[in-house]
Amino acid sequence: MEKGDKLLALILVVIFIFAIGQYAFVSIGKAKRTIIIRSDGEIVQQIPLNETTETIITIKSKEGTITMQVKNGKVHIIESTCHDELCIKQGWISKAGESIVCLPNRISISIVGEEKNEIDSITY
Amino acid sequence: MNKKRNIVTILGWIFVVCLIIFSFINKAEKPPATAELYAMDTIVDIKIYGANKEAILKEVIKKIEEINSYIDSFSPTSDIHKINENAGIKNVTVHPETVAIIEKAMELARNTNGAFNPLITPLSQIWGFRDKNYRIPSEKEIEDALNLTDYNDIIISTDTVFLKKEGEALDLGGIAKGYTLDCLKEILDKMNGERALINIGGNILLYGTPSGKQWKIGIKNPREDRIIGTLNIEGTTFVSTSGDYERFFIKDNKRYCHLINPFNGYPADKIFSVTVVSNKGYYGDALSTAFFIIGKNEALQDAKKFDVDIVVIDCDLNVSCSEELKDSLMLENGKG
Repeated sequence: MEKGDKLLALILVVIFIFAIGQYAFVSIGKAKRTIIIRSDGEIVQQIPLNETTETIITIKSKEGTITMQVKNGKVHIIESTCHDELCIKQGWISKAGESIVCLPNRISISIVGEEKNEIDSITY
Repeated sequence: MNKKRNIVTILGWIFVVCLIIFSFINKAEKPPATAELYAMDTIVDIKIYGANKEAILKEVIKKIEEINSYIDSFSPTSDIHKINENAGIKNVTVHPETVAIIEKAMELARNTNGAFNPLITPLSQIWGFRDKNYRIPSEKEIEDALNLTDYNDIIISTDTVFLKKEGEALDLGGIAKGYTLDCLKEILDKMNGERALINIGGNILLYGTPSGKQWKIGIKNPREDRIIGTLNIEGTTFVSTSGDYERFFIKDNKRYCHLINPFNGYPADKIFSVTVVSNKGYYGDALSTAFFIIGKNEALQDAKKFDVDIVVIDCDLNVSCSEELKDSLMLENGKG
């Protein structure tokens, strides 16, 4: 092989590896789940959700406060200042597209990410 | 020499493949402009896609807040509050938009023979659904409240509204969300919107079509925190649901929900939920309420009359739907 050929081959190999890497990165990035926490409609925190994430977070809004727990790849509300506590009764969520909304406190917890059969929205 | 050239050719092809992969990555859809807000006593979820998304989002939020300010019966400055305060006393000048919603409400009240009733408030009140002080009222209270629910007592003249009897009170909660979605569709039309999804407390506007796909809309399971099935929908459509699980109380093992039967004054209990798929937002919103009152068989009949498609979940969690939806409804247990 001539010097020029070798250089060209090298450049192509580098570009190829880079492309595959980027493609894989994009795919993996999508498959990951993220918890998005909104208070009064504004995003206040985003947390990557995986099997090892373990945390307890308190979220405040103008209306009140809720406390959520993240464990074993799932999220639930453990405490809330709202009167009906529907958010606590809802229990655990784990799939992309699922969410818990505390209407009285105007706080929402939603999970986003690529799910195989992800739905666009829910009618209720 | 040939061998070397082959390697270069192969690498050249790899390069082409890389370019294709790159172009796919770049073609991945750009994220939508989104917003979450609280209006009309519920949560609003907005996703706008396409070139003009930020400008459209701004207009959409503006419109929702505008209509909300007219119809929020808890706000002392709203048109509805003023109309209710002056019931039996005098007429009140209101915004044209308020008149338009009330006219639509009366149209639906007439066409559903009163199953949808915008004057249901006195009944909601005595069952405690207004102040969340739930209780079972006496027969006498129910009878008295029923006398204040004649929607023919709503008198509209150009820009004024008058309720004939003192104690009568408008509640547009069963139609305003759908009406608002109609207005938002107009905004999207005018501003050349490509694609959008707007969910006002379970009432959904689907605008446009996801690239080469259908919209997937989950229907809530009335008794569990998951969906009972999915509707696959193409193109611009409205989806609304009324169910007994949203606001209710349980006394002596019986569930009393916030949707009250205007014919007998008791919370409706014929079905668990009904979902309406329509091409008019206010139709879906008001008809889901009316269909919830009249029950499965009548609803399936009436759906044809109104040219809408419905999904009914009865009190045994059996799912029935209009003929037209049979192919697009996928139930969670695999049945379709």
